[in-house]
Amino acid sequence: MTTQIEFNAVEKYYGRYHALKNVNLTIEKGEFVALVGPSGCGKSTLLRTLAGLEKITGGEVKIAGELMNDMPPRRRDIAMVFQSYALYPHMTVEENLTYSLRTHGMKKKDAQEKAREVAETTGLSNLLERYPRELSGGQRQRVAMSRAIIRDPKAFLFDEPLSNLDAALRVHMRKEIRTLHDRLGATSVYVTHDQIEAMTMADRVVLMKEGRIVQQGAPLELYDSPANQFVAGFIGSPAMNFLPATVGDDGHSLKLELGDGNVLPYPGELEAGRKVTVGLRPEHLELVSADEAQFSLKLRIAEATGATTFLFTDSDPEIAVVINDRAAVTPGEALNMRIDPEQIHIFDRETGVRL
Amino acid sequence: MRKALSTLWDGRGFDLLLVGIPLVFLIAISGSALVYNVIMSFQEVDIFSLGTFFRPFVGLDNYIAVLTDPQAWPIFGNTLIFVLCSLGGQFLFGFFLALFFNMQFPGSTYLRGLFLVSWVMPGLVTGAIWNWLLAGDFGVINFFLESIGVIDDPIFWRSSPDFALWSVIITNIWFGTAFNMILLSVGLAAIPKDLYEAASLDGANAFRRFYTITLPMMRPTIGALLSLGLIFTLQQFDLFAAITDGGPNNSSNVAQYWAWQLSFREYDFARGATVSVLMITLVIIAAVFYVRSTRHEVRG
Repeated sequence: MTTQIEFNAVEKYYGRYHALKNVNLTIEKGEFVALVGPSGCGKSTLLRTLAGLEKITGGEVKIAGELMNDMPPRRRDIAMVFQSYALYPHMTVEENLTYSLRTHGMKKKDAQEKAREVAETTGLSNLLERYPRELSGGQRQRVAMSRAIIRDPKAFLFDEPLSNLDAALRVHMRKEIRTLHDRLGATSVYVTHDQIEAMTMADRVVLMKEGRIVQQGAPLELYDSPANQFVAGFIGSPAMNFLPATVGDDGHSLKLELGDGNVLPYPGELEAGRKVTVGLRPEHLELVSADEAQFSLKLRIAEATGATTFLFTDSDPEIAVVINDRAAVTPGEALNMRIDPEQIHIFDRETGVRL
Repeated sequence: MRKALSTLWDGRGFDLLLVGIPLVFLIAISGSALVYNVIMSFQEVDIFSLGTFFRPFVGLDNYIAVLTDPQAWPIFGNTLIFVLCSLGGQFLFGFFLALFFNMQFPGSTYLRGLFLVSWVMPGLVTGAIWNWLLAGDFGVINFFLESIGVIDDPIFWRSSPDFALWSVIITNIWFGTAFNMILLSVGLAAIPKDLYEAASLDGANAFRRFYTITLPMMRPTIGALLSLGLIFTLQQFDLFAAITDGGPNNSSNVAQYWAWQLSFREYDFARGATVSVLMITLVIIAAVFYVRSTRHEVRG
């Protein structure tokens, strides 16, 4: 595999605001990478520096081995799908599609031919004469995608392209974008704040926080072994439960600080008396009978959605449990829970780093 | 009667009332004067019959008299030059300034606001300022042109038949540029930034972005602005009164000023009214364009 995109020690300042801090990221040709993180984490800024819409303050950006630092966007040969779609409102769909071909000097006839080909694959064939204002949200989104793929660029950039669609269409377009990526053998960088989107679409998820890359890896890698408490809380839905605990005298048990002396076994070895944060994923907690339980808490509320049920305990902090069943417990009763010790995540109480 | 009145309260008649009040107001204030003017252009009016309404109708006599007047065509020609050059100058300078301030450097919004001073000032004051600037013996403009070697002898802007009209045009361009700039700035600000970003990623350079994105997106604004500009330019009276008084020998006279001269200098009210009716027709045509261009305002 060859490297298509490279960020080396990239820094970005807006005045005194430090937006990107020493970002290092390498993206292979044909890879689908999702940049994900809470708002203000710098993921969109990173994407825009790749497009050339923002200038970096330090470091290097390379596309296909070529240094891009001072290259204007129009000479970077990349296509971007904007959150707002940024369709040219005064042009028909066909003119929107052919705009980039025409700026690169392609003859009108050839460009229109190409537009028809692309429209065929994206289901826009009978909309070519329409103006963007005459299209639905989903159709506009398709036009934006088609405008990107018509050029066969070095990379596709997506800036939260699905956030203006309704939930059902979003799920559908997710698959469609990924299928398109595979068919074109493209290199894609996809910015989203929605971890489900990132997890389902990407080969590799890059999680950012406050201008830094916190962790990157295959989606399940981030899920299974989060580098710290932030990653653990961000990846997975509903979010992981965090409980303060103290390591027992033997080093193999965790005393939960829930007020009633619940103790969890721990297969590893930790320094006795160390203060830690225990992370338990809601879907890893099992409901068992009272004598099998590792710990019990009172149920406060149960939300049934049919296939799954969300249970929340009456404790501080609250613990969420997801079961693929109807709840047999009513609020006020005890929830008897156990968890496979291998599924327990332990973080340092102070630094949040995984232990 | 009770029934008719009750529609005022049940809501159906109330909207009629809402429409009626401004309509009555418009007819009383503008409409009646306009109609009176049109009627007068078909009558024989002199200083003795001015006080009556029922004056002898003379058909198109006034129109024939105006259009065959040897002064008429030079004046209409001047009007055309004045309108085209003022509009063009105001628009080009205004567009340039709007693009300049659209770059949003520190303080750009304040500076842009200051430019409005020229538009806010009364026309007579503007005229007085430019009288000083344009003065033949001691004017700054002559001094400047002589210093950089464009001219050797001072130009007598206001009293030379070759320059009199141009001195009003220059002043009017200065006067209207700020207004053009503000409207164009609003139009520019309404173009989403991401269109430019998309276009630059699509390979367009600054020049291409300007004529494939900026200009077409500005079309409704530009249409409205040029129509409004035409109306304002045809209304421009103060600057003529302040700078050249239409002279020398009508060389800077335009239709709107002539209409006033005919009515209130020569007391030929009928012909004065005739010239203004001709102008009203023109302004109405411009107004139709204006209304149409605002109706076609579509974005996104």
